[in-house]
Amino acid sequence: MIRFNKIKKLFEQWSIIMLSNKKYLIEIDSVAGDGDLGLTMSDGFKAAYLAVADSEETDIGKIFYKAGKKMSSAVPSTMGTLMASGLMQAGMALKGKDVLSLGDIVQLFEAYKQGVEFRGKAKAGEKTFLDGIAPAVDSLKEDLAKGETILVAARNALKASEKGSEMTKTMLAVHGRAATRGENSRELLDAGSVVAVLLMQGFLEFVRLIESGHSC
Amino acid sequence: MKKIINSPENFVNEMLEGIYSAHPDMVKPVAEDVRCFVSAKKINGKVGIATGGGSGHLPLFLGYVGEGMLDGCAIGDVFQSPSPEQILEVTRAISSGAGVLYIYGNYNGDIFNFDMAAEMADFEDGIKVETVVAGEDVASAGPSAPGQKNTRRGVAGIFFVYKCAGAAAAEMLNLAEVKRIAEKACENVRTMGVALSPCTVPRVGRPSFELGEDEMEIGMGIHGEPGIRRGKLASADAIVDEMLKPIIDDIPYAAGDEVAVLINGLGATPLEEQYIMYRRVSQILKEKDISVYRAFVGEYATAMEMSGASITLFKLDDELKRLLAAPANTPFFKQMQL
Repeated sequence: MIRFNKIKKLFEQWSIIMLSNKKYLIEIDSVAGDGDLGLTMSDGFKAAYLAVADSEETDIGKIFYKAGKKMSSAVPSTMGTLMASGLMQAGMALKGKDVLSLGDIVQLFEAYKQGVEFRGKAKAGEKTFLDGIAPAVDSLKEDLAKGETILVAARNALKASEKGSEMTKTMLAVHGRAATRGENSRELLDAGSVVAVLLMQGFLEFVRLIESGHSC
Repeated sequence: MKKIINSPENFVNEMLEGIYSAHPDMVKPVAEDVRCFVSAKKINGKVGIATGGGSGHLPLFLGYVGEGMLDGCAIGDVFQSPSPEQILEVTRAISSGAGVLYIYGNYNGDIFNFDMAAEMADFEDGIKVETVVAGEDVASAGPSAPGQKNTRRGVAGIFFVYKCAGAAAAEMLNLAEVKRIAEKACENVRTMGVALSPCTVPRVGRPSFELGEDEMEIGMGIHGEPGIRRGKLASADAIVDEMLKPIIDDIPYAAGDEVAVLINGLGATPLEEQYIMYRRVSQILKEKDISVYRAFVGEYATAMEMSGASITLFKLDDELKRLLAAPANTPFFKQMQL
């Protein structure tokens, strides 16, 4: 179980991981996009973290909602607004909770995915962020059914996400600038799906951190 | 980069401070945020019309806030969308009980942020918001099949959508009617552009694309999005012929139809050249027996100092004509009753 007072550490991990991958994201986004993904993700997740870092809030749903709203005003670019929508949707799904079980974690990422899906009007298989997050959500669901621990589930979710992101190299782009390339877009790695991998990586780091520390 | 600025970081806010200082009787900021731009006059019970988008396109988007046109505009950085929070602030400020209509260009970032703002306005304030997304650049994509998403970019033709929807709101029509007018205007407007040289975003500091001294690109977008053909610079008549054909074929037109024409300079193309283009447009329309109700020539939607121009045709019926003819008074567009 993860208590509300630990949640800011998750935002801290996301902020750190986006910052340390800033250059990499710029590089892969520059192939087909306008190259600002590294900036919007590092600025956006930093803003989200700062919005909740000093918060006394005990409602985990409200923490996510607030972080998302802050991100949407800090980085109103396409991907910034999509990630903000994910956080806000996760916030709505977790409303009223002050502790998260693995079942709640499944809800968190499921709602995040739905928020992005709804805002972006995209589906899995269209070479987007969703192709990185959807396999992670499925993996979390399977591990919940199997009764795995949060740590094992987080590890498996990251692997699933990495595999999903890799699969975007076989997909035709339907959205964004890459779509104008038509068939030439197929072999490109989708930068949005890499953001999903980083989210899962940050989540795993966070789980490791709280499990290695004192129990909560 | 050669620009009259103080610093790239202050480009947008200082531009806005200048506009507020120049037109204090017409426009004002919402509270402290200069990026939230509204008309100084608020009419009770009128549908509020909000727009927004990136800076760098003056008079678009904020220049059409004023009497007979728009009520508010949320302003982003150069070529960047405004935030949902800013759009929400504008929405709140212009709402006077009859609902709010969003009209903006077809760009992903703007769509996401306006959608989010509309949800927040409904959820947090109970303001009813409707949306019309304008996308009329025939060079950017093919026509969308019925029920399919329009993938065309929104460019200068949005001026006609603003004008007709704004006049409809000024007639105190309700939200559904104003939306219907805006959609009808979108269905009847088509544009294509040509670029001769690029522009430089101040914070980037170098041109967004390269175009040879003797080259042009037909169909290029107002942020430098790729067009449909790059080639040697041709004569004005040849350029117009190449641009106007797909515009006319897209609607299509019949002999006896009536249009408004917009020749729009992209920022660094003189009016002289724009009128040389209009001369040819008018010849072709005459040959096709399409009559021109009104021609607008000048800068309506620019891309900083990009040189080039766009041509827009707006097919009219009696209703659209009545709305186009209505008076308007904004910082960048003034018209007496036609």
